[in-house]
Amino acid sequence: MLILIIGGSGSGKSAYAEELLAHSDKEKYYLATMCADDAESRKRIARHKKQREGRGFHTLELPRHVSQAVSLMPNPMQSSVLLECMSNLTANEMFWDGGCSQCSEKELAERIGNDVLALSQNVATLIVVTNNVFEDGVCYEKTTEKYLRVLAQINRRMAKEADRMIEVVVGIPIEGKGTI
Amino acid sequence: MELYIGGYAQGKLEYVRRQHPEEDVRIKNGFHLWVRELMEEGKDPEAETQRFLKEHPDAIIISDEIGNGIVPTDAFERDYRERLGRILIRIAAEAERVERVICGIGQRIK
Repeated sequence: MLILIIGGSGSGKSAYAEELLAHSDKEKYYLATMCADDAESRKRIARHKKQREGRGFHTLELPRHVSQAVSLMPNPMQSSVLLECMSNLTANEMFWDGGCSQCSEKELAERIGNDVLALSQNVATLIVVTNNVFEDGVCYEKTTEKYLRVLAQINRRMAKEADRMIEVVVGIPIEGKGTI
Repeated sequence: MELYIGGYAQGKLEYVRRQHPEEDVRIKNGFHLWVRELMEEGKDPEAETQRFLKEHPDAIIISDEIGNGIVPTDAFERDYRERLGRILIRIAAEAERVERVICGIGQRIK
């Protein structure tokens, strides 16, 4: 089962995704993609960690190549995984060490999408959190606009493949596909 | 208490006035800018919001949705989006009614 959750900054999308994971009767894995290279990231990670405390989630950290998570779980087909988050993973795949900002949009979107779908096919449930970064009407420089298009392509593919798609607005889940 | 959210210039105030004629006294329009000003003045918008809600339990709050964009490089702007988002989540949790307005049309989400 693949569940896609989208929301803006401070929309409560992560808290909602964690609620979903907490209700799973499988082994629960939190797959973190954020690389802590500054105080603000560390603070954000600390806030998310606190939010997860005592919920029995195992934490995996993979800034890229998330399908490798399968080999880190003893029983992947008996496991639910929360991938946090698509926007960060895409940024890592493009701009982090070994990432490829020069690759074509198509290649990037395909490779990242394939990787996430491979993960989804090898676990019981995959919950993917992604970020709505598309509605501020600002014209960005070329690299950022390329990033936006790559992420949007991946999001659309995920939504197409997903059993459920949910948008979170001011903490309220809104059904996009499937039933809440 | 009610919350109305939506993008810039989507007709939120007009929509709210249609739903609540002659009740302007209950309306707090531009809530996002109020939060921003409090932050600029170095005040605590979370505490001020709680105080406001206590004093105006039947308020109709109108706020722009500002979180649906690329995360800004400016630390204040990032903080503003994040904090307004979290404040709106708390308001929405307490509100009896939450609507999202787009092109002047309201969609009730709570």
